[in-house]
Amino acid sequence: MDRWMDRSGRGSRGVAQFRMQVALVVSTVLLLAACGASESSTGTSESAPALRTSVKIGIIAPITGEATTVGTPQLNFARLAVEQFNAVHGTNIELVETDTELDAARAATLTQRLVEDPAVYAIIGPSGSQEVAAALPVGAEAGIAMISPSATRPDLSEQGYNHFFRVVPRDDVQGPTLATFIADELGANKVWIIDDQSSYGTGLADVVDQLLQSWNVVVVRESVGQDVTDFSALVTRMRADAPDVVFIPWQLAANGAQLARQMDEQDVAATLFGGDGMLTEEFIADAAGATEGAYATFFAPDTTMIEAAAPVLAAYREQYGEIGPFGPPAYVATMVALEAIERAARSGELSRASVLAEVAATEQPNSLLGIPVAFDARGDIEGATFFLFQVRDGQFVPVS
Amino acid sequence: MVEQLPQQLVNGLTLGGLYALLALGYSMVYGVLRLLNFAHGDVFMVGAFVGHGVLALFLAENGGSAEAAPMLPPWAIIAAMLLAAMLVSGLLGVVIELVAYRPLRAAPRLSPLLGSLGVSFFLQNVVLLIASARPRAIATEQVLSPSTGLNFGGAQLAPVRLLVILAALALMLALHALVQRTRFGRVMRAVAVDRDAAAMVGVDVDRVIVGTFFLGSALAGAAGVLMGLAFNRVWHLMGFTAGLKGFTAAVLGGIGSMPGAMVGGLVLGLAESFATGFISPTYKDLVAFALLILVLLLRPAGLLGRTTRPKV
Repeated sequence: MDRWMDRSGRGSRGVAQFRMQVALVVSTVLLLAACGASESSTGTSESAPALRTSVKIGIIAPITGEATTVGTPQLNFARLAVEQFNAVHGTNIELVETDTELDAARAATLTQRLVEDPAVYAIIGPSGSQEVAAALPVGAEAGIAMISPSATRPDLSEQGYNHFFRVVPRDDVQGPTLATFIADELGANKVWIIDDQSSYGTGLADVVDQLLQSWNVVVVRESVGQDVTDFSALVTRMRADAPDVVFIPWQLAANGAQLARQMDEQDVAATLFGGDGMLTEEFIADAAGATEGAYATFFAPDTTMIEAAAPVLAAYREQYGEIGPFGPPAYVATMVALEAIERAARSGELSRASVLAEVAATEQPNSLLGIPVAFDARGDIEGATFFLFQVRDGQFVPVS
Repeated sequence: MVEQLPQQLVNGLTLGGLYALLALGYSMVYGVLRLLNFAHGDVFMVGAFVGHGVLALFLAENGGSAEAAPMLPPWAIIAAMLLAAMLVSGLLGVVIELVAYRPLRAAPRLSPLLGSLGVSFFLQNVVLLIASARPRAIATEQVLSPSTGLNFGGAQLAPVRLLVILAALALMLALHALVQRTRFGRVMRAVAVDRDAAAMVGVDVDRVIVGTFFLGSALAGAAGVLMGLAFNRVWHLMGFTAGLKGFTAAVLGGIGSMPGAMVGGLVLGLAESFATGFISPTYKDLVAFALLILVLLLRPAGLLGRTTRPKV
């Protein structure tokens, strides 16, 4: 028995194993220490002409998944912005692309991942309000500027964070715009509001609900999840109730198209009204004509009607194809970030804090959206409004 | 309120038909193998994608429209979609049985159950990798007129709904005839009653099981195509919800019983539609599952199920 046991009780094989384990731990610790040392030595020494070293911005968008018609144009316009900026300024800024698939938890994880890369100085996105809500605390810890090209829920900029910005107006602007049009222009007496149980959808639904009710319009409030694809029973209920307008502040345009189809199938005469989530190709293409005459509001104007935007749009069409309405705000957001990085670098100190300060101090007299860009104290863009569109002949047409 | 009834009936029958087709697959497999095949919903999903692919193929050949220069009349295109989906799904079911369940036949019951979950995730992710997470639209209006269809006392019966209801009914009747009137059906019932005894009297149990999987999965594939046509969308996660509903319907009607699966599917579909119509869409699932619990409390084996006590 003595062969198997030495005084430590481990046996000769055990001793060898123990030594191996110690060696493994020690070498791991040394390796980590070496990595840590090398990281900190490259992290903070950028200075004025430093745009030659690695500078990146990240984008967090629902590139694949159900909201791909939102995320893909955002990504492509961001890519275009980076390309054009690099070409004009001779820089080599890189765009780190991350995909949330419209999942809030993933948005938070991706923010964490971007933040851990010290070369990332600003983040474009996230896009959906629920994603922003999850990602903001993570970004706050790192003090990195986060500029959303599409999140409209009002309370996102009311939480006291100083690193969140958006280039689109909020739903407490969209709500009144919508409600006024529904009550005055469309003269509705009874309105059905169906929210999609998302943070954005319920928020906007609540705003419009309250306003309409205060104007003595009868409001019926319903709710369906984003994963529902069969609205037949709901539409039957709707038909029995005969509303004038059905308002759907949904994030997924394909669902809106499906609802329109089934409303058509059951001969429901109500006018369909969507929020900004409906302004994608799918709303028209997937509906087989059922969305003809439907309205939607959007936080950007029809950029094809803005002369100054023509060259950028032409460049986009050449490289990426059709222009989705969600794209141009992403271009503006990216440019804001890039210009801020450039100003920070020129002032001699390139860091997340200085970039953040420069973003907050942004004063662009003009932008792709036809409006100047400046942020108020809460990070919301100043002076933005919502625009109304209607589907006519299979196209979204601006309505005044 | 009451004026909704005829239309909600139509809605409920459409959903019910789909759920019944799915529930049949669950019940059949449970009957012969005492196994809950959680991959069944994803076989349904694959069938739906196959249907989408076939339709896209025909539309592409006609330059995007079935009316442009129709190679085949619309009903033939739909038949092609159904047949292709049923074939592919059926074969997929057979392959799954061979690969995932047969090796575990002697293992404790939990193992093939977990295996079926694994197959389910595998299928979902394979389709995700191939087709991406973007839902694919099915342009039903190219093969079926999107008109409001017939009007039955206040209910609009659109052509696509009529198709779903009739096709589901036809498939169920065909299956019933197959199970009750053919030799294979008799053998299948024998294996469901007592697998070992059937083996002892010379039944090739493996062949019966393969056949059962093929039939059940083919029905799921057909249901996938029908759902795609009715609701215009296929995506890689559609099998999860549909599978859950199908499983619920099977249990509601009595797992292992085929008439039970049909009744369970219908009851579930109607319950969901009525709950949405007369209460609220937010309560739809609550009502459906509360109904399930209630039925199981009163009849633990399901509506048409039989509690079999082992006879010694």
